[in-house]
Amino acid sequence: MAVPQGLTLKHHRDLVDRERRPIVRRVLVGLLAAILVLGLLSVFGQSVRVSAAESPAARLEVSAPSKLRGGIFFQARYRIVAVEEIANATLVLDPDWLEDITLNTVEPSPVGEASRDGRIALELGRIPAGDEHRLYLHFQVNPTALGTRSQDVDLYDGERLLLSLDRDAIVWP
Amino acid sequence: MDIVLRATLAFFFVLFVTRIVGRRELASLQPFDLILLVMIGDLVQQGVTQNDFSVTGIVLAGGTIAVLTVIVSYGSFKVPFLRPVIDGEPVIVVQDGQALESNLARNRITLGELLAAARQEGIGSLDRVEWAVLETSGRISFIEKQRD
Repeated sequence: MAVPQGLTLKHHRDLVDRERRPIVRRVLVGLLAAILVLGLLSVFGQSVRVSAAESPAARLEVSAPSKLRGGIFFQARYRIVAVEEIANATLVLDPDWLEDITLNTVEPSPVGEASRDGRIALELGRIPAGDEHRLYLHFQVNPTALGTRSQDVDLYDGERLLLSLDRDAIVWP
Repeated sequence: MDIVLRATLAFFFVLFVTRIVGRRELASLQPFDLILLVMIGDLVQQGVTQNDFSVTGIVLAGGTIAVLTVIVSYGSFKVPFLRPVIDGEPVIVVQDGQALESNLARNRITLGELLAAARQEGIGSLDRVEWAVLETSGRISFIEKQRD
């Protein structure tokens, strides 16, 4: 009873020198499963992160995902609560908010838009004391976007800085 | 550049997945497996080409997959120690009519599945089988005993 040509009993039946392969395979499957668990835990996006900053004049809350992936749509909500009246509320965003990220819509439309030292300034107009202003921006990440980016937001009353909020985001491939 | 890198990553990811899922899954193309195959193809395609609908994109992505297929198969052909990693190795699962339970278990193949594979080859009983080998493709080849 000759063994088929190209096979040996030692290697192909008794699996000598192949004992560790099932363990290696289990480890690799485990690694893959671990990546899936990280995905379930939103390590790769896109659960919303809420950041807030406060000053005697106002409170700013930004809700947006901080972990993004190429191609996905997401929303950023900027909630401003004026403690004192803000005559000309202006949100100033880091350029990374729009670098390789397409802005689909801004609601309600700002009164004015400008560049302020390379940053994006959105003039929102007057916010009476005690009032709340909500601004929604809807984005889509460009497929070529990659890496970490600064998404700081400052709130001004005209040229007077009221508060600053530090945020970062990461774009996974 | 981006699309070539994405296609390369997708190629090695699919190679990695097909190597770690084991041969049992590769051999059994039930309706569910077929649908799964199409689904995986679609998911991978979206990750590679994303919103690129251009002919250039097709050439770059398709060309990358084709060139990598040739490189990997040439590597497996030229470098012997790469062969088990890329293609796997055959395993004897039946010797002289006796099923080798440990080898079947290692590849998650039940005796019932072995008998079904034998029937598909026109073999009604393992007593007629001298050797059965689980090939790297996931198929089982049967070598019948010589009749006197």
